[in-house]
Amino acid sequence: MEQLTMLFEGFGAALTPMNLLWVFIGAILGTAVGVLPGLGSAMAVALLLPITFTLDPTAAFIMFAGVYFGGLFGDSTAGILLNTPGNSSAIASTFEGHRMAKDGRAAKALATAAVGAFVGGLIATTLVVFFAPTLVKMATAFGPAEYFALAVFAFLAISSVVSESVVKGVAALGIGLVLAMVGVDGPSGTVRYTLGLPQLFDGISIVVITVGLLALGEVLHIAGRIHRDPSATKIEPNGRARLDRKDFRRALPAWLRGTAFGVPFGIIPAGGSEVPTFLAYGTEKKLAKRRGDAEFGTVGSIKGVAAPEAAGNATAGTAMGALLALGLPTSATAAIMLAAFQQYGMQPGPLLFERSGDLVWTLLASLFIGLVVLVILNMQFAVLWAKMLYIPRHYLYAGITVLSMLGVYAISSATLDLWVVLAVGLLGFIMRRYQFPLAPVLIAVVLGPLAETELRRALTVSEGDPSILVSSPVTVILYSVLALALAVSALQHLRHRRERVAGGAGGDGSGPHGGEGRGPDAGPAGPSEGAVAEERESSRV
Amino acid sequence: MSTLMETPTPERTAGGTARRSFWSGRSELIMPVLVAGLATWLAYETATMTVLGTSVPGPQFFPTIVCVLLYAVAVVHAIQVLRTPRLPDPTDDAENADFSSDLLGDLAHASEKGRRRIAGQDPKATLPTDWKTYTDWKTVGLVVGGIALFILVLPVLGWVFSAAGLFWIVCKALGSKRPGFDIVVSLVFAAVIQLAFNAGLGLNLPSGFLEGLL
Repeated sequence: MEQLTMLFEGFGAALTPMNLLWVFIGAILGTAVGVLPGLGSAMAVALLLPITFTLDPTAAFIMFAGVYFGGLFGDSTAGILLNTPGNSSAIASTFEGHRMAKDGRAAKALATAAVGAFVGGLIATTLVVFFAPTLVKMATAFGPAEYFALAVFAFLAISSVVSESVVKGVAALGIGLVLAMVGVDGPSGTVRYTLGLPQLFDGISIVVITVGLLALGEVLHIAGRIHRDPSATKIEPNGRARLDRKDFRRALPAWLRGTAFGVPFGIIPAGGSEVPTFLAYGTEKKLAKRRGDAEFGTVGSIKGVAAPEAAGNATAGTAMGALLALGLPTSATAAIMLAAFQQYGMQPGPLLFERSGDLVWTLLASLFIGLVVLVILNMQFAVLWAKMLYIPRHYLYAGITVLSMLGVYAISSATLDLWVVLAVGLLGFIMRRYQFPLAPVLIAVVLGPLAETELRRALTVSEGDPSILVSSPVTVILYSVLALALAVSALQHLRHRRERVAGGAGGDGSGPHGGEGRGPDAGPAGPSEGAVAEERESSRV
Repeated sequence: MSTLMETPTPERTAGGTARRSFWSGRSELIMPVLVAGLATWLAYETATMTVLGTSVPGPQFFPTIVCVLLYAVAVVHAIQVLRTPRLPDPTDDAENADFSSDLLGDLAHASEKGRRRIAGQDPKATLPTDWKTYTDWKTVGLVVGGIALFILVLPVLGWVFSAAGLFWIVCKALGSKRPGFDIVVSLVFAAVIQLAFNAGLGLNLPSGFLEGLL
């Protein structure tokens, strides 16, 4: 149990008053960006990166750990109270959570979500402690072809399998790859795509791209809609968020099931916690139906909140393991964490445990501390966090605009960076306008250089023979799984298109999955809806 | 309920009413045009690149693949938009394109209503008649202009006044009704950042004409 000794040493390093303060600040910031709609941990870490560059790496990463998990703790608040989930990772827990809130059990829903996030994160992080060395051992056997296969897997899984439209996903991926290629080409020293600007020789900073796409892009998107869209009505939570023993006993199996769904998805590059949270929700729904649970889908079931929340944080936990041990970011947030390591001159992957072992174990220890701080913050002050939703939107987005400028200027005090971030912000805005996914851009920016270098390295070794790319069992397995996932996804798209066509012709849009029929909001589907759905479908592949 | 059902969903068939031009519902063409433009620039730069070193494959290899990929998606996307124009649809405000709503709907065993929520659709939404464009370009323009102005005046006015000005402009654009009070808020916000960063983290923000005073 060498890991335990290392972990205890990590706790020793993390439990200094100063470091505890950083965990605390990170947890508060993380919860705040989670609670506020449209913001997430990825953007928060990107904004903090340049600002914290004067800190020592341990302190910075301890703070990022708090932000990393905090975003997933806070994101359910807006969903439960407003019915508008702050992030897509909270959509699944919003279904039952908002029903509970409407039923007057908002505080209980918030508590279930907080404890669920805690349980999921705790179990996943514990697993990482025990299995990280195994992952590292596996990763040391990886050569260029294997790393290239991993990158291709991540690219296609995120841009094609899980995204709304394949064409738009691949376009977003391509845009990200172009952004990543700007600057001096590492292996040959060739200057590429810099428009003759020496400031771009080092490439475009990932901070600039993330802040532009996620922060400024969001501000401009809101600006384009704020005078047009109606605002949501809010439910006031009353009392403290707490769970009695009975609730606890009911939620516990759901938390554990949710965690079981979340854990494997942390190491699969499928874009983060959306897929596992929905899987967890779907399972709870099926189980509720089998048991005849009348609360599910009507007044809101505690289990329907518990499972997705646990799944979300479990995914984040194991994603951290995959990032540290393999150097593979499985979600946009993990991609920014990877960029954070690179900013400090460290490369996550097998070597990180050797070279910066003390930092890694301190980081893992602070993930545990962060979880404890977060569950206390979110249980005790749930009502206070909900008050954040009262901040007038114009102050909120004005503040984000100014902080974006601050963060980008702090990188190197260069005005050019500010112009670039404005351009990327406009790109993010127009991509949102036409419903392009943003995650592929970030993944491409982070993994693009790795994919290119490893591909060229593999082909140099084989003297141009492409068969080297599929020469090992690991690569064959990765490509086969990817092909399978693409095929299943294509079938799914086709099936839904057929259903929509049929629904439009038959005049009832209820579809075969209309199992939620006993809910108060399950109304008869109108004749026009099938047609709408059909039209909608025609826009995608 | 019945009145809601009669709310006309915007028609998206080509060649609808005479009022509508060819470009209605096809503004999305800007995306394939941009992507093809990017690909063309990439191709030009790749072809005219001064390559250092003799390694094979060299620095032009990967960009060539990306270039072909970009051209391919631009063409497919353009064909899609030309065949099926999409007018702004108030019932379909899909916020999150990162995830396929079909995929998530299947995972959640969602009903038709649940699926619509996952996709961000609201069947009750209607399109007000007084909009000329879907996007509120005036507000977007104000925010973009504010940022551009900030970048231009930052070296002259220094952080506090430039950042306060940017904060104020964005507030005003997003519909704040108390411009006077906002001046105070923005100045305090900008000043607190300057103090915290210069004193606390040793990060130098430009002080502009206040140089020496702060």
